[in-house]
Amino acid sequence: MTTLATVQILVFFALIVLIAKPLGSHMARVFGGDKTFLHRGLGWLERGTYRVLGIDPGQDMKWTTYSVAMLAFSFATFLFTYVALRLQGLLPLNPQHFGAKQMPPDLAFNTAVSFTTNTNWQSYAPEVTLSYFSNMVALAIHNWASAAVGIAIAIAVIRGFARKSVDGIGNFWADVVRCTIYVLLPLALIGAVVFIALGVPQNFDPYTIATTLEGAKQTIAQGPVASQEIIKQLGTNGGGFFNANSAHPFENPGPFANFFTLVLIWSIPGAITYTFGKMVGNTKQGWAIFGAMAALAIVGMVVCTAAEQAGTPHLAHAHIETAATAVQAGGNMEGKEVRFGIAASALFATVTTGASCGAVNSMHDSFTPIGGLVPLFNMLTGEVIFGGVGAGLYGMLMFAVLAVFIAGLMVGRTPEYLGKKIEKFEVQMAMLAMLVLAASVLGFSALSSVIHLPKEGALAAINTWPGSAYGGSDSVYGAATGNLNNSGPHGFSEIFYAYASGTGNNGSAFAGITANTPWYNTTIALSMLIGRFMMIVPLLAMAGALAKKKLVPASSGTFPTDTVTFAALLVGIVVLVGALTYFPGLALGPIVEHFRMNALATL
Amino acid sequence: MTDLFFITIAIGFFGLSIAYTYGCERLRGDHHD
Repeated sequence: MTTLATVQILVFFALIVLIAKPLGSHMARVFGGDKTFLHRGLGWLERGTYRVLGIDPGQDMKWTTYSVAMLAFSFATFLFTYVALRLQGLLPLNPQHFGAKQMPPDLAFNTAVSFTTNTNWQSYAPEVTLSYFSNMVALAIHNWASAAVGIAIAIAVIRGFARKSVDGIGNFWADVVRCTIYVLLPLALIGAVVFIALGVPQNFDPYTIATTLEGAKQTIAQGPVASQEIIKQLGTNGGGFFNANSAHPFENPGPFANFFTLVLIWSIPGAITYTFGKMVGNTKQGWAIFGAMAALAIVGMVVCTAAEQAGTPHLAHAHIETAATAVQAGGNMEGKEVRFGIAASALFATVTTGASCGAVNSMHDSFTPIGGLVPLFNMLTGEVIFGGVGAGLYGMLMFAVLAVFIAGLMVGRTPEYLGKKIEKFEVQMAMLAMLVLAASVLGFSALSSVIHLPKEGALAAINTWPGSAYGGSDSVYGAATGNLNNSGPHGFSEIFYAYASGTGNNGSAFAGITANTPWYNTTIALSMLIGRFMMIVPLLAMAGALAKKKLVPASSGTFPTDTVTFAALLVGIVVLVGALTYFPGLALGPIVEHFRMNALATL
Repeated sequence: MTDLFFITIAIGFFGLSIAYTYGCERLRGDHHD
């Protein structure tokens, strides 16, 4: 690793730690119903929203009511987006005249599900598919809504631990409204202005047609990028305005914008661990969670950066200089932007996959096998390495419950966490949440690795890329492995990564895979729905059960969970579960690819 | 693959999720302490 890479990681973490306490305290006050400095200026908006929508913010909801409210809200917003995307040709702000042809039913389904679940997986190139209205309204609504839902769920789970002998875990509508008005909106307003100052476009102009020096015509896409970019990163959404996402200079103009983006991605996920500690009455509990996440993150960053800096042995074997010097970044620069280099690209890859953001500033498909294994493993852990806004914390609390359960088994004591006995039901719910993720990733990956779909007849449409909608010709793939850019283990990694990304609600891809076919659009959409809602429901059930319990006073035999020992145990559980569950898949993909690469280099 | 097909899938999934919610509550009720 270079000095630059080390310094970047240290400065990045220093900022995340510095932001955690003030932002975390602010969120604790917001969700505790207390007044903050923003209430004087924005309180009218909150009260007005409640009045218009008929919400009583003081009405405490049982976990079942909270869950149904969340599901109904998500379904309604999904439906709105689906209809808006299908009808984009009839809606305003469409200077490029895109219509239903560019957004067939399977793609609209995948996209609407994707944005509803905070995944923002995009099987399409936005600048040749989506009108400005589709971007700014149909999709952007989810950048706000899904982020607010994720944070609300995390707060509800925290209340399960913090409250005692009560039925309710909060009011879903109040949590979403407060999150949007007092957390996301102020940060987004400031961040959008910063992006505009850094050179990110914000206009409604049609695409510019430029003439190159050779006399060719070049279409330069633009539009309201800054306003989408800020909430894309802040809400760990990840869906870009351009196909190249944060590798595009209009989304991510330079190194400072890149670093600012990274801090945005982990600001709320890092701060919400402090919110957790504040709400349960012991901030050390939050720092223990933060510490566990940071430990996992740092190892991944170091491994990924080192692997990418080392590059591939083939280049060295061909006597090509791959060392980092004053005039070159060295290492594996395939698929990376020269303005970012190795360190910033590897850091971005680990941050975005730890966070369930999914924005990319380099092409993960071009990473070395071990370099690509790190982002993949980050997603396979369940997106708990800081994770998505809210989702990372409730995912890590799922592991915390399992950690105290396993610790309790080892010493023969009833497990306790934060003064609550962890009994059969809580463990069952944590296991359900975890197992459904594994079933989705492994099941869909296995299915797509082997399924043979027809190449002729009416059913050939199941795995056909509709190229004619984008100025090309249709491609019929047949078998689901036909969509891959690579054969062998790297090709398998493309499939494995796609379903890990969908299930983990990440949204990044080994983008060699052509996913814009009905087969992949439908199966990845299902993995996104399962990974989001089938994980949330049992964790809310766990929260509801915990809220009803009495607090058990700590004794000399209680396992302290605000210590380095607990954080280390938590890291161990996350790694063990991830490794045991997914080792076969990793072995068939990036691990064997790594050994194969080294073996071929000596031929 | 029509609009109706995909909307039906979505309704089915969200309906299943609501059923899952009440299923978990029933499971919790069986373990009521």
